[in-house]
Amino acid sequence: MTTGRDRIRLRKPTASSVALDLTFLALVGLSVFGFFAIDTKGLKTGPAAAKLLSDLVKMFAHPVAKHFSLAEAIWAMLLTLGLAFLTTLLGAFLAIILSSFAAKNLSKPAVSNALKLLVAFVRAVPTILWVLIFAIGAGLGSVAAVVGMTFHSFAYLLKAYSESFEEVGGDVVEALKASGANWTQIVCQAVVPSSMSYIVSWTFMRFEINFANAVAMGAAAGAGGIGYELFMASGFYFNIGEVGFITYLILFVAILLELGAMRLKARQHVQR
Amino acid sequence: MAILTIKSLTKYYKDLRALSEVSLKVKAGEFVTVIGRSGAGKSTLLRCVNRMIEPSSGLIEFDGIDMRSLGRRDLRKARTRIGMIFQHFNLVPRQTVIENVLHGRLGYKSTLQGSFGIYSDEEKSHAVDVLARLGLAEQMHKRCDQLSGGQKQRVGIARSLVQDPRLILCDEPIASLDPSSAKTIMDHLHRISRDMKITILMNLHQVDVAIKYSDRIIGIREGGIVFDDEPRRLKKKIVAEIYGSDADDILFEESPE
Repeated sequence: MTTGRDRIRLRKPTASSVALDLTFLALVGLSVFGFFAIDTKGLKTGPAAAKLLSDLVKMFAHPVAKHFSLAEAIWAMLLTLGLAFLTTLLGAFLAIILSSFAAKNLSKPAVSNALKLLVAFVRAVPTILWVLIFAIGAGLGSVAAVVGMTFHSFAYLLKAYSESFEEVGGDVVEALKASGANWTQIVCQAVVPSSMSYIVSWTFMRFEINFANAVAMGAAAGAGGIGYELFMASGFYFNIGEVGFITYLILFVAILLELGAMRLKARQHVQR
Repeated sequence: MAILTIKSLTKYYKDLRALSEVSLKVKAGEFVTVIGRSGAGKSTLLRCVNRMIEPSSGLIEFDGIDMRSLGRRDLRKARTRIGMIFQHFNLVPRQTVIENVLHGRLGYKSTLQGSFGIYSDEEKSHAVDVLARLGLAEQMHKRCDQLSGGQKQRVGIARSLVQDPRLILCDEPIASLDPSSAKTIMDHLHRISRDMKITILMNLHQVDVAIKYSDRIIGIREGGIVFDDEPRRLKKKIVAEIYGSDADDILFEESPE
């Protein structure tokens, strides 16, 4: 060798990796530019940051509940959890019925593609927008929130369920088909039981998402619950301590849900 | 009497010809093994019999029924008399052994009863008997994911037996088993064909196993039959032709004549 040590590359640059690198560089450049291009309207960075810090300290170091009692807060939290639970349940029910028509191994390609396209469209629009769209008919409030959130949950779970059906179903579907079983029997006896662990974990995952959504719905769509109290505390009473209190409450419930999900997963892991 | 007659069976996958003009007859109670390289068309041939794969042309007659003329309903009915067992067992892992075995009865049941898994006492006791005969009586209530490979395959056999089949199609039944489990499975299948007079049509990779158990061996190469005779007539030269390699490269003992 004449050039001494040649570097051994682990990867060869391909068209797609070059494109990825260029995109990344462009994004970094834009971010830096954006930071300098912010119009601060004469706001001084130093004092503003100090003010923010003091507000944050007030919010999280001195949480108080002034306009409602603890019992009322818990009731509002239950309302929010109820909204999340109801919409997940309704969405899951619709999704489980229709997902066997959307799974490629159980359905005709045309039906499967049509359903998947439809739910892809529903999923592309955020939950909050669906709620606002349904609010046109139902008026802002809990009805619009339930319908809109159910709609989006259904689309999300249909994709999740039908993909797990496609993944686990294959072998058993073939075996039962060969023994003369009909479509409904195969779905009920083989496909759903074999994908049960996926169904449970996806549904719980959606419940967690719906909890966060339900908080937002309370604030944005007037669906009530803890989200509404948060909206009132921050936008109406300007009570920073109360915002802190509600935030802690939401955080507490979110951690409980997360722990629940972990236990659920651990149990299934043993069973699988 | 022939239970299965195949005439000029041809199957195309797009432009690729998987089977060309295959003709064969299988007698009731016969144990027939199909050997050939991977991709020679063994699996396609087996699946054309119960129309899990639609043939392109040709005749398939099972138990006096022209399989290709059947509509969906009648095809399901005909399939109830054809059992099938698979290389990867194809069981529902989260259900118990007996639940999986009873799946073999679904073809005989109404949609509602089948979907909710409601079985009659006769069906249940039949399933228990079959399990006992296969030495799985104690595993009855275990979940299938707790079983060993050999046990899973026995559940697969039990599932096909509760169908009251006249023919069992076996697609590489021992390809993912250790040698001792493989022997158990082959012994069970052999007993089933001998004692219950159920016809067996099996794909195999192991030539020596095929010779030991079969009444007849069919060799397939590139979608066509190149050998169809008793095991003792299978010579090294023919095996080499079936597998398309040098005779010396094949692990196999000729039977002395």
